Amino acid sequence: MIPDSIVEAIHGAAVISVGTRDEQLRATHTLVVGAVVHPDREAITCFVPEQRFARIQNNLTSNGRVTLAVSLLTHEAYQLKGAYLGSRPTDAKDLAIQELHRAKLLSTMLQRGYPEAIVRPFILGFIYQPGMALSFRVEEMFLQTPGPEAGKKLN
Amino acid sequence: MGVLPDEIKPALQGVMPSHMATCSLAGEPNVTTVSQVYYVDSDHVALSFQFFSKTIKNIRENPYALAWLIHPGTLDTWDLEIVYDHSETSGPVFDAMDMQIEAIASMTGMKGIFKLKAADIYRVISASKTVGERLPLAEIDTAASAAQEK
Repeated sequence: MIPDSIVEAIHGAAVISVGTRDEQLRATHTLVVGAVVHPDREAITCFVPEQRFARIQNNLTSNGRVTLAVSLLTHEAYQLKGAYLGSRPTDAKDLAIQELHRAKLLSTMLQRGYPEAIVRPFILGFIYQPGMALSFRVEEMFLQTPGPEAGKKLN
Repeated sequence: MGVLPDEIKPALQGVMPSHMATCSLAGEPNVTTVSQVYYVDSDHVALSFQFFSKTIKNIRENPYALAWLIHPGTLDTWDLEIVYDHSETSGPVFDAMDMQIEAIASMTGMKGIFKLKAADIYRVISASKTVGERLPLAEIDTAASAAQEK
């Protein structure tokens, strides 16, 4: 079960990326614009741009291994690993989650004093629609905050 | 002429953090944030080895990785396919990385936590701007969005 601290991080002002791998064990990286923890706290749906999703679709259907890296601006970070459940085009409800995620990330970065001239176009320049919703079941969670405890298993 | 074009060099100066994706031999992918991917020459980059992290463990098992970079001027994002070559624990690349890590740690409040063990040198297989991830800078309507927030 995903604990409160990680749920809050995923639903908060976090930079989130999803990783997959191909059959030659070559890893991919895709930036996520918004994610939501399922009510059962056992699965996550994250939203990625459609064109970027196309690169990883074969990986998801052939081996299904997924990792989600979640980093807060405080450097607090988590890694959640699991198995692909499915995907679908994003809908209006997803879009609202994505827009809230962008707004939270932008306002938190500005509050923390990041230069507006960089932060605003940086956050608003990520393509998020048309998007795909990618769901996976979480099997393992790790602390990834920089330091000697990074990599510590949390479940 | 090497694999890395000149236009990517600002993305290798540590202005904005990069991400690195690796995979274990057992087939588990991993993604992490790295403070900087360093330019070594037009065919090589270096990454810092600070802790015996999952990334380092994966790289020692399976040397292929993907580095995701942000250009601080254009805000374009880049994918670099890289393969681990060797580690250096002294010399000009190590010294330059050590100094920059100290500076980044100081600026981000992580002084004393970041400590360089080795400079890991990677050969660059390919470098490409990401497709479908970023809007061109000229198309980002920051003015409208700023007005909406007010």
